[in-house]
Amino acid sequence: MNLVDQLEALIFVTEAPVRVADLVRVLGVPEGTLEQGLELLAKKHEEQGALKLVQLAGGYQFATKPQYAEIVASYLQPQRSKMSRSVMEVLAIVAYRQPVTVADIEAVRGVQSDYGVRILAERNLICEVGRLDKPGRPVLWGTTAQFLHQFNLPDKESLPKLELTGLPPTAHDVTPLLVGDGS
Amino acid sequence: MANRALAENPNLNTLGVVAPPPILVQTPAFEGTLATLFRCVREHKVDLLDVPMEPICEAYLVYLMESPETNLDEAAAALTVLAYLLEKKAWQLLPVHEEEEPEMDEVTALPDATTYEYADVIQRLLENHDERSKLFFRTASPQLDLYEIPYDVGNVTAGDLARAFERLLKRANPEPVELLAKPRKSIQEQMKFVLLALKPSYQRIDQMFVGEYTRTDAVYWFLALLELIRLGAAAVKLEGEEVLFAKK
Repeated sequence: MNLVDQLEALIFVTEAPVRVADLVRVLGVPEGTLEQGLELLAKKHEEQGALKLVQLAGGYQFATKPQYAEIVASYLQPQRSKMSRSVMEVLAIVAYRQPVTVADIEAVRGVQSDYGVRILAERNLICEVGRLDKPGRPVLWGTTAQFLHQFNLPDKESLPKLELTGLPPTAHDVTPLLVGDGS
Repeated sequence: MANRALAENPNLNTLGVVAPPPILVQTPAFEGTLATLFRCVREHKVDLLDVPMEPICEAYLVYLMESPETNLDEAAAALTVLAYLLEKKAWQLLPVHEEEEPEMDEVTALPDATTYEYADVIQRLLENHDERSKLFFRTASPQLDLYEIPYDVGNVTAGDLARAFERLLKRANPEPVELLAKPRKSIQEQMKFVLLALKPSYQRIDQMFVGEYTRTDAVYWFLALLELIRLGAAAVKLEGEEVLFAKK
């Protein structure tokens, strides 16, 4: 039994991303060796077969390759629910500023945001991570492993970089003012 | 008339202002009249911080006391000068809080992002979400939990079962007094007896019981019966007001 096959077997039987630390504990090999093994396993599946090794939510998991998405979806018929723009705004603010209170979210958005927070918590994309040591002890929200899994992210550090671009464009930026020449 | 009176006043200077009297000031940093000190301070020729104010105030008081026929205008002018000097020195003595201006090369804190600033990352997260929706993972296989075998009780409700149990309890005898605790009964053992009492044909609960029993016996007996229904070994149905039980 070589390491790559062992890794394949362990990752295959799990239904959630397997953490490197767990694999190190079970296989009893150094982390560096294990990561080399994972690289070889990923390469092996890249070249052949319908499965690929993906790094998601702090671990590794097998998934079907995107080219098989249509056929798998037609069989499984997954229920997909799209998130509204306002809920996505709340999610982005929580993801980038966590831990964050509802008041903080509302300060950025300028509108009431408790509905978005509730929807995201129901979908297990955000969760309570603590309480702020201030009057009222407001709940602090953070993202979950489910969020990383659904948004194809290996970890929180892999979030797309937030660029501060300045003020939003005004109508003048889109349609430049016509300066009359007096004629 | 008034203009002439003013013009005849020898204490008026060229600007028409009453000059302070020649009060001599002697300090380590400055020696001269009060009017000269005033002018030097205004022209930044003397640093007031080096000039102690106490001897100047004392000199003014001496002037007031030693000159009984003091010209009121001159005294007022001297007081004004003294007040000016005191106020100026007081301001100079106050600690000055100078805000350090950030250097141009220094990285200043970025302002908080507004919703607009998140537009780009929201778009990229949605793209990630779309990509992710093309991946499918192993899902939890539905494993039959042996403890959750589906069972059918028809239209029999919990209330009906409670009534049947009540009927059973009505016939129960009081518990005999025992000094020693009884060994705990096993529902599993009790189920064997209930299974023996059940018949293929439906019957009332009190028809299944023969002989005497206590309330504890009734409770164990009924719990065993419920367990048999849940496991699918006993059937239950409602006929009118009566709950009937049978072996499956």
